[in-house]
Amino acid sequence: MPPKKDNFFSGPGIRTRTARALLSVGALAVVYGIASEIGRGRLPDRIWLGTHYVENVQLLPPYPSLAEETTFLLESGILTSSIAVSAGRVLLGFLLGGAFGILLGIATGRATRAEYLADPWVTFFRFTPALALLPLFVLWFGYGEGSKVLLIATSVAVVTILGAHQGVRSVPRVYLDAAAALGASPGLAFRKIVLPAALPHIFASLRIGLGLAWVTIVVAELIDARMPSLGYLLTLAGAYPRVPTMVVGIATIGALVLAFDLLALWVHARATRWMRRTA
Amino acid sequence: MRRVPTQRFVLGFASLAAMVLAYTVLSNAHLFRPEVVPPTQEIAVAFTELVVGARPPPVTEGDMHAGHHGHSSAHVGTLLQQGVTLQDSLAITAARVLFGLAAGVPLGVLLGVLMGWSRRADDYLHPIYVLLRSVPPLALITYVMLWLGHGEAHRLIPIVYAVAATMVIPAYHGVRDVLVTYVVAARSLGARRWLLVRKVLLPAAGPALLAGLRYAVAIAWMTAVGAEMLMSENGMGNLIVGGGLWASRTQTKADPAVVIVGIVTLAAAGWAMDALARSATARLTRWVR
Repeated sequence: MPPKKDNFFSGPGIRTRTARALLSVGALAVVYGIASEIGRGRLPDRIWLGTHYVENVQLLPPYPSLAEETTFLLESGILTSSIAVSAGRVLLGFLLGGAFGILLGIATGRATRAEYLADPWVTFFRFTPALALLPLFVLWFGYGEGSKVLLIATSVAVVTILGAHQGVRSVPRVYLDAAAALGASPGLAFRKIVLPAALPHIFASLRIGLGLAWVTIVVAELIDARMPSLGYLLTLAGAYPRVPTMVVGIATIGALVLAFDLLALWVHARATRWMRRTA
Repeated sequence: MRRVPTQRFVLGFASLAAMVLAYTVLSNAHLFRPEVVPPTQEIAVAFTELVVGARPPPVTEGDMHAGHHGHSSAHVGTLLQQGVTLQDSLAITAARVLFGLAAGVPLGVLLGVLMGWSRRADDYLHPIYVLLRSVPPLALITYVMLWLGHGEAHRLIPIVYAVAATMVIPAYHGVRDVLVTYVVAARSLGARRWLLVRKVLLPAAGPALLAGLRYAVAIAWMTAVGAEMLMSENGMGNLIVGGGLWASRTQTKADPAVVIVGIVTLAAAGWAMDALARSATARLTRWVR
C-alpha cells in the first residue's frame, strides 16, 4: 500500500462522503414528500391535453399512493415480468451490438483499408438517430422481437465501433515495435498488447452503449406494444394518465440503468485490475 | 504524404457507391415488395416531392415508369396535404436541437464545473446527478406533458435535460483531471478565485468540453427526433412516422422511402453540425500543441 498522498485536494474520507451522499438524497426525498403533501388538493387534477381534459391526475403522488401502486404492480407480477422482458431485450441487443461493434472497431483500428471502407458508413449511422430507424426495422424485420433487439444492437454498435477503433489506435507504436523486435508473433502481440491497451476505451464505450440501449428500449417497445414491457407500461400510464404508475415505471428504469452501470463498472474494475499497479 | 487522403477518399467513395449500387440492383430485382424495399428511384421521387412540397404535375407520356404516377404512397400524400416539406421539418428539428444545446450546455457545464471544482458540492450533488442521469430523457416526456400541457415546452425539456446530463461529465472531468499542477502553480503565483477560473480552469478544461459538445450534439438530435416521433405534429420525427406513432401507438404505417429520405437527411444534418463543432474545436484549442 502506497502512503496516502496528502495535498490540498485530499478531501474528507469515505465516511464523510457517504454521509453527505445520504444526506442529500435523503433531503431530496423529504422535500418531495413535503411537496406532495402540500400539493395534495392544491395542484390541479383536471388537465387539458390539447384535445381533451383528463380527470383525477395526481401530479405529485404522495408516498402512500406510490407504495400502494408499487405493491399492486409487484403483486400482480406486472412489474417483475416487465423488468424481465425489457432487461432481456436490452441485454440481447447489447450483446449483439457490442460484439459486432467491437469486432468491426478492432478491424478498422488494425487495418487502414478497412477503416477507409467502413468510414462513410460509421459516420452515417453515427449521426442517424437510432430511433429514426424504427419504422424501417418494423417493415423489414416485423413487429416481433427482431426489430426491437436489432434497434438496440444498432445503437450500441455505433458507439462501440468508435470505442474499439480508438482503443486499438491509442496503442503506442513503440510497444508493437518492441514486441516485434523481441520476436512476438502478430497474434501474441495482439493478445498481450493491443487488447489490454484497448480495453479501457472499449469498456468506456460499452458503458455509454448500455445507457443508449435503455434510452432506445423505451421507444422500441412502442412497436407491437404489449404487456409485459417497461416501455409499454410507461406509455399506458401516460395514456390514462396514471402518474403513480408513471413514477414507479420511471424509477424502475432509472434503478435498472444504475444497476447495469454499476455492474459494468465492477466488471471493468475486475478486468483491468492489472492497471492499478502502475497507478 | 498526399497519397493517404486520396486513398481514403477513393475507398470511402467506392464503398458508398458499391452499397448504393447493390441496393439499387437488389431493390429493382423484384425480390422484395416495393412497399418494403423501395427502389432507389422511388426514394429519389419521394425526396423531390418532399422538397418541392406539392405533387408534381401529371406524368407525361415519356415517363420511364408508365403507370407509376409519381410516388403515390399515402404517407407522402398525407404529409404533402398537411403542407409538410423536408426542409421545413429539418429547420424545425434543427431549431429544437439548437435550443436544447443553447439551454442545456450552460446548465450542464455549470453543474459539472461546480462539482469538479468543489469537493463539497461534488459530495452532495453527485449522487443526485447519478440518479437523474439514469432516467432516459424520453421516459420523462409524458410526465412533463402533464405539468406543462401539450405544447412546445414538453418537447424541448427532454432535449435540454439530455444535453445537460451529457455535458456534466466532460466539464466535471475537464476541471477535476487537469487541475492539480496548474492550480497549484497559479495559486503559488497568487491567482485568486475568479482569475483562476477564467485563466486556468476554463482553458484547461476546454478540449474536454468541446469533445463533450460533439457528443452532446449527437444526443440532442437523437432526443429531438425521438420526442417528435412520440408526440409532435411537426419536425423530422413526425415526417418519419407520418404522425402515426402517437396517434395510434400500436401501429406504424410508414412508407420506407420517406423513412430513408428522412434518415439520410438527418445523417447529413448531424454530420454537418459535427463538422462545425469539429472546426470550432480546432480553432478554439489551437494553443493545445
